[in-house]
Amino acid sequence: MSRSLKKGPYVDEKLLKKVLMQKDTGDREPLKTWARACMIVPDFVGHAFHVHNGRRFERVFVTEDMVGHRLGEFAPTRTFRGHGGRRRAAEEGRSTRS
Amino acid sequence: MPRVAGVDIPADKHAGIALTYLYGIGHTSAQHICDVLAIESNKQARELTEDELSRIGSYIEKNFVIEGELRRLETANIARLRKINCYRGIRHRRGLPVRGQRTRTNARTRKGKKRTVASRKGVKDIAH
Repeated sequence: MSRSLKKGPYVDEKLLKKVLMQKDTGDREPLKTWARACMIVPDFVGHAFHVHNGRRFERVFVTEDMVGHRLGEFAPTRTFRGHGGRRRAAEEGRSTRS
Repeated sequence: MPRVAGVDIPADKHAGIALTYLYGIGHTSAQHICDVLAIESNKQARELTEDELSRIGSYIEKNFVIEGELRRLETANIARLRKINCYRGIRHRRGLPVRGQRTRTNARTRKGKKRTVASRKGVKDIAH
C-alpha cells in the first residue's frame, strides 16, 4: 500500500534542516546520515550525502533524476561477489591456506 | 479487418477482446472504452461501423498511451533507473528480479535459462 497523500512524503526532519542550513552557508560537505527511508525532495538536489548501509557510509550525490526515491536506494546493503566457479574456488582455497 | 488507432488490425473477435490486441490496452481498458463510447463490447469487431472505429480511435488517442510510444516510455523509465544507480536500476542491469522476489529458486524469467554450476565434488578436486 502506498503512503497517504495527506501526510506528504516522508522526509527526515533533522536531515532536511541540515540541508537547508547548508543552502544558507553554501557548504557542500556530504552529510552523514542513517535516514535511509528519507525521501529525496527537490531541496536535496546538488547536495551530497553519506548514507549508512549497515557497515559503511556510501557517498551519494543527489541529482534531479533521484527526486522521489529514497536515500537508501542508492546505498546497497548487500555485497555479492558472485558464486564460486572453478577458478574462483581454486583462488579462494589458496587465500584461506596462506 | 478493421483498423483502430493507426496501425493495429484486431481480428474477428468481440470488440472488447479485439481492442486488447493493441499494446497498452488490456481487458479493463478495452471494456472501459466500449462502455464510455456506448459500443456493445460483445459485438464482432468486423461489425463495427466506420463511425464507431473513428470514435474509438480518437478516444484512445486522447486518453491512452499505446504501442510504440508506450514502449519508448517504458525503456526510457528503465534507462533512468539504470542511470541514477538506484537499487532497482542495479537489478535491471544485472538481469535479476526488480521487485524483491526471491532468487534462491525460481526467478527464471529474469535470469534466463538455467546455467548449471560444477558439482561440489568437482570443485574440491580442483582445489587440492
